[in-house]
Amino acid sequence: MVELLRTEKLTKSFRGLVANDDIDFTIEAGELRCIIGPNGAGKTTFISMVSGHETPTAGTIWFKGGNITGLPVHRIARMGVVRKFQTPTVFSNLLVYANIELAVLARNCPVRQRRARVLETLDLVRLSEVVDQPVGSLSHGQRQWLEIGMLLANQAELLLLDEPTAGMTAEETHSTGELVRRLVRDLNLSAIIIEHDINFIRDLRSPVTVLHLGRVLMEGSFEEIAANKEVRAVYLGEQE
Amino acid sequence: MTAIQPVAALRTACRLGASESGVAVVVLVAFAVLPIFVSGYSIYILPQYMLYGLMAMSLALLWGFGGILSIGQAGFFAIGGYAIGICFKYVEFMNPAYMGLIVAPAVGALLAGVLGYFLFRAGVRATYFVVVTLALSIIVEQVAVSQSQWTGGWNGMYIPRMSLTFGSGTDISLFDDTPMFYFILCIVAIIYILLRWLVASKFGKVLVGIRENEDRVTSLGFDTSLYKTATFVISGAVASFAGALYGSHAGFVSPSLGGVLFSTSVVVWVAIGGRASLLGSLLAAIVVASLSNYLSALAPKYWQLFVGLIFVAVIIFFRGGVAGALSRSNRLRSDEAGRNG
Amino acid sequence: MLSTAASVLIDATLLTFTLALASLGLALIFGLIGVINMGHGAMLTLGAYITWASMEAGIPFVIAVLLAASCVALVGLAFEHFIIRHFYDKPFDTLLITWGFFLVTTEVIKIVFGTDIHNVPNPLPGSLDLGFQEVPAYRTLLAFIALGLILAIGVVFYRTALGIKIRALTQNREMASLLGLDIGRTYKLVFVSGSFLAGLAGALISPMLSIDPYIGMVFLVRAFFVVIVGGIGQILGGTLIGSFIIGGSETFFAIFSTQTFAQTIVFALAILVLRFRPQGILTSGTKS
Repeated sequence: MVELLRTEKLTKSFRGLVANDDIDFTIEAGELRCIIGPNGAGKTTFISMVSGHETPTAGTIWFKGGNITGLPVHRIARMGVVRKFQTPTVFSNLLVYANIELAVLARNCPVRQRRARVLETLDLVRLSEVVDQPVGSLSHGQRQWLEIGMLLANQAELLLLDEPTAGMTAEETHSTGELVRRLVRDLNLSAIIIEHDINFIRDLRSPVTVLHLGRVLMEGSFEEIAANKEVRAVYLGEQE
Repeated sequence: MTAIQPVAALRTACRLGASESGVAVVVLVAFAVLPIFVSGYSIYILPQYMLYGLMAMSLALLWGFGGILSIGQAGFFAIGGYAIGICFKYVEFMNPAYMGLIVAPAVGALLAGVLGYFLFRAGVRATYFVVVTLALSIIVEQVAVSQSQWTGGWNGMYIPRMSLTFGSGTDISLFDDTPMFYFILCIVAIIYILLRWLVASKFGKVLVGIRENEDRVTSLGFDTSLYKTATFVISGAVASFAGALYGSHAGFVSPSLGGVLFSTSVVVWVAIGGRASLLGSLLAAIVVASLSNYLSALAPKYWQLFVGLIFVAVIIFFRGGVAGALSRSNRLRSDEAGRNG
Repeated sequence: MLSTAASVLIDATLLTFTLALASLGLALIFGLIGVINMGHGAMLTLGAYITWASMEAGIPFVIAVLLAASCVALVGLAFEHFIIRHFYDKPFDTLLITWGFFLVTTEVIKIVFGTDIHNVPNPLPGSLDLGFQEVPAYRTLLAFIALGLILAIGVVFYRTALGIKIRALTQNREMASLLGLDIGRTYKLVFVSGSFLAGLAGALISPMLSIDPYIGMVFLVRAFFVVIVGGIGQILGGTLIGSFIIGGSETFFAIFSTQTFAQTIVFALAILVLRFRPQGILTSGTKS
């Protein structure tokens, strides 16, 4: 399998507080990986460094063999690493169509094909019916899917999803899980997903990396993680 | 059947006519035939207001579409006026007005480009940028005062009316008000069309995206600081170009043309007309400036206060200005028509 | 040579304290609430005009100054209560609305007081003889008043319970409310205090200038840069340091050209600082 993203000794400290400490992490092309950990474990900081929103204090990040450490956000996005933020970061005052259109515009799509690509994408995330509606009329779950749609239209190869099911109903969470699995499989994408929802993670049936206090505690399948005493104590234990 | 068709046709005509392009055409035609009915002072003064409108459109692009407020557009306007004035003083190898009309937007673009790149690249906050543009306006005014060997200082600078030269030796002097009126009307119309095209293009859509959620736009792969700088450059160039035309039309420029008062007026016009509407800003500038001129003869003290209060009211209650209110009611009307007809 | 250096230093010091006085109101509101009060200049102008009008009516200078500052504080209170407090979460709107306040207030000033240039007589004419130089007595007094004000605010901030809670505002708004702070009332207090300081500055500075409706405008821009250079949130030390840098630079460049041109150069330099160190001189840490 082809290595897609690799971090070596990735570290981030903020004025004395070490948010990420020597993290070695690898994900392969076509892989789905969940990152879990208690609050303050450094999950979002890690994602931020991969996407370019934070500059690492030390360490390197490799994407498709190229060093992307410290590059500006827009350049990393152009390479195919696109991020979905914790709170849905969409264009709330524009129409759904315009949201996806902007993602398409970033990708040198000939004018004639733009409309088709937008509609195609909306179809993939099951938002075709709301194409002409303002984002304000969408539910919270639909907005999350809209943002995922933007990532797809943006020709993302590696999706960085930060808590994609936050604020969703159980039904929406289930649909999101199906959506993500389908996209990864059909479009041969890769995804790193930060999540707290245990059911969502279990349904994904993907490998899991556990972060604690800025370090990688353990990596493995969901069952292995769930059974591990240390992990339970640190994270799952807190949930019960 | 036969009774409904013309009604439906009329409704469609109203809906189309109420769109910005429709109104723009009506306005253009109205201005084009105006000299037939009116003459004298109105024909003299209207081109100046049209040029104010051009400056207002430059702010509408920057603020309404890009979300970048500037209270320094008058600085660019004054730079344009002084540029053409200086060209008239020193340029002899070619038509000085042409030179001025090239130099003015070039200088405006350069200043905006340097300042914009410098600040936007570093991610300087929008609110700080506003105060920097205020400082810019003050700086332009102070430079105009102090560099009196170029600018005439507080006394200002007199500028002749330009002529249009065409290679074969034919000259059209714009000394008379009517040809000047049509010249400026044409230019304003052309720039309006160009700006409309820009706003509807990919560039315009990205700009609106930046206004709505800059982080998202960056995360999609756009270098937003480049787009913001480019927008600032275009708005600076347009404002300076307008200033150059104004210089030759009004015949006189002085430091207060670039000062805070005038910069403020531009923001007020754009706020009232609708910051995200090019036509709204253009018309608001013409209408409010005309009214100011007319009413300041009658009740000078209270008119400006009234405008200030309207500005505050618009910011608090009518963020979309007149154009926004109109388009909202139009949408409601067409929604209803859709439901009924 | 030494005496020129000394006189430049004294000019710079006097200007520093004048600027500090004129900037305190903005620094307070900007630092604690995060609002750039674009009406700060207008409040300063209003303070100057009310002082002038009071003295024309025979009121002694000290009373006139306090009256002016209080009136401006009242105006600020009304403005905060009816308008501004609804927009604290929208920084861009507050900028525009305070700008609107500037417009309206300036026009009202023109209507009420006319547009002729006025002058407030110097309450302390004459100068102090320092041997090598004479310094204007009033400006020296002003410097001491400014210093005294800063120290007084310092005492309130660092020695009173209210001050500690207010300072918590700059750190963390939620924490502050957990500490028992009524955010709404505190914001009101801060805004009114900032208005009072602006009016007070205008009143105290009025004998030094010819008064026209726009004198506050340049002070607004200078105050903004003072706060940027000194550091937002560093209300006391930052204002002093920022004033010293801005005031000192102005004095320095004024040696080679006019005062207004020196201001222009300093604005340009301040824009540089804004870009390279937007958190100011005193604040440590990186821009994130």
